[in-house]
Amino acid sequence: MLLSIEDVSTGYGKAQVLKNISLNLKKGEIVALIGANGAGKTTTLRCIMGMIKPWEGSIKFNDQKIDSLPPYEIVARGISYCPEGRDIFANLSVYENLKVGGYLIRDQNKFKSSLNWIYELFPILKDRCNQIAGSLSGGEQQMLAIGRSLMSKPSLLFLDEPSLGLAPVVVENIFNTIQQINAEGTSILLVEQNVTLALDIAERAYVLEKGEIRLSGECKELSQSEYVKNSYLGIA
Amino acid sequence: MLLYLLQQLINALAYGSILGLLAVGYTMIYGILGLINFAHGEIFMIGAFSCYLFVTIFNLPWFTAAFLAITASVISGLALERIAYRPCIKKGGSVLAIFIISFAASIFLRYLFMMFFTDERRAFPIPPFFEKMYFVGGIVVGLRDIIIFITTILIMLIITYFIKYSKFGIAMRAVSYDKKTANFMGINSTLIIKIAFIIGSMLAGISGLEYGLSFGIVNPGMGFNPGLTGFIAAVLGGIGNVPGAMIAGFIVGIGEVLFVAILPSIYSPLRPLFVWILLFFILFLKPTGLFRPNVKFDGGWGE
Repeated sequence: MLLSIEDVSTGYGKAQVLKNISLNLKKGEIVALIGANGAGKTTTLRCIMGMIKPWEGSIKFNDQKIDSLPPYEIVARGISYCPEGRDIFANLSVYENLKVGGYLIRDQNKFKSSLNWIYELFPILKDRCNQIAGSLSGGEQQMLAIGRSLMSKPSLLFLDEPSLGLAPVVVENIFNTIQQINAEGTSILLVEQNVTLALDIAERAYVLEKGEIRLSGECKELSQSEYVKNSYLGIA
Repeated sequence: MLLYLLQQLINALAYGSILGLLAVGYTMIYGILGLINFAHGEIFMIGAFSCYLFVTIFNLPWFTAAFLAITASVISGLALERIAYRPCIKKGGSVLAIFIISFAASIFLRYLFMMFFTDERRAFPIPPFFEKMYFVGGIVVGLRDIIIFITTILIMLIITYFIKYSKFGIAMRAVSYDKKTANFMGINSTLIIKIAFIIGSMLAGISGLEYGLSFGIVNPGMGFNPGLTGFIAAVLGGIGNVPGAMIAGFIVGIGEVLFVAILPSIYSPLRPLFVWILLFFILFLKPTGLFRPNVKFDGGWGE
């Protein structure tokens, strides 16, 4: 198992958000985490990233416990998080954003190879490398956010709502690239509200409801299940 | 009249340098922590006053004393971060709590020095080398003013280069814009905060030395007015914007000196008021300061 979460509960202050979440991810997989607004999807990712500590339960990455580490240690171990709402550094240039993404890379050659990889995945970023990131279009900002989180060459990438607020044709483009990134060896945990899209691209999925895992399984089966059809796909 | 103004302008360059260096520390620390470090004026005082102590009490050569004084400023800045601010931020202290702590730290440091040394004004030791004067076409230019100005410009160029191109500089701007996301990039923000305090306090120490050289007087209460004025310059420069703070420091410094120079002398006591009026008018016209702020305005104070 690349990532395994067992019985994790956590929350903010005294407000519990997650209740006994268990989730795992094998090397090379795309796993989707779906659920409505406020179900706890982003909280799950933040908890794995070390932004909030689990109250109970354990989180293991490559069979090592990571649940007491600070975020920068977790990034150093090979997990990268592409935040929701494409929180790019709007005050920095495109290149500087990517440089921050590669903050932990010491070797200049490795940095350059990462940078070239990102520019191959998203050629538009190369054209705009000196532009201030805040001036990019929504789709370009999302590409930059993904590119930035890939700079560290993570073995596991968390994508938080990559389709949010983007035009369908841009979403398609980005999701094609996500599949390409996965094919090149990065495992992905995808958080999506667009369930059709998520079930389409992922192999397995977990359905999160009110902080608990309601359902899990192969995407093919889940998309046939009456419950998912009714609640998430809008097919009666 | 023109000659007089030119003379005042030359005099203002040193004062502008002092404020510019002070403003950089405020803006860096505010940008990264969302914290107005009101004790910054005392870090400035420690730079000047400890140089005086090292020279007069320990009889050290001036440059050794100046180096140790800057070190003393840096150590005080780091101690301030470690002892006063970090515990409060870690426990999720409110902006107001941190604000009050910074006032308390300012008052504590000032009165600590007053307790030991009294607030008596003392002559700052100035090496004879600095005393040289040049007369250029009716204008007097002191060598110390030239040295202060050139040193400041050099330091500012180095800092600007550091902020613009170095890995830590870029990381600093990223943390300043969005600390949470910067953490996800593998940046250890505690380290970045320390670096900001080191640089900010170092510049405040240098600024204190420049003040001593330029005005020739030091006392434990000396940090209060330049501290506030430096803070105003930081706001004018667009908070979090380091080159902006430097330029605004010069604008405020030159403005203040010219205010006194141009108006009849009965208005001179209003000198401290001038900067607040300037702040009021500039913020009235441009609420984010003269230059682009380097922080994300999300309606709150950030995380």
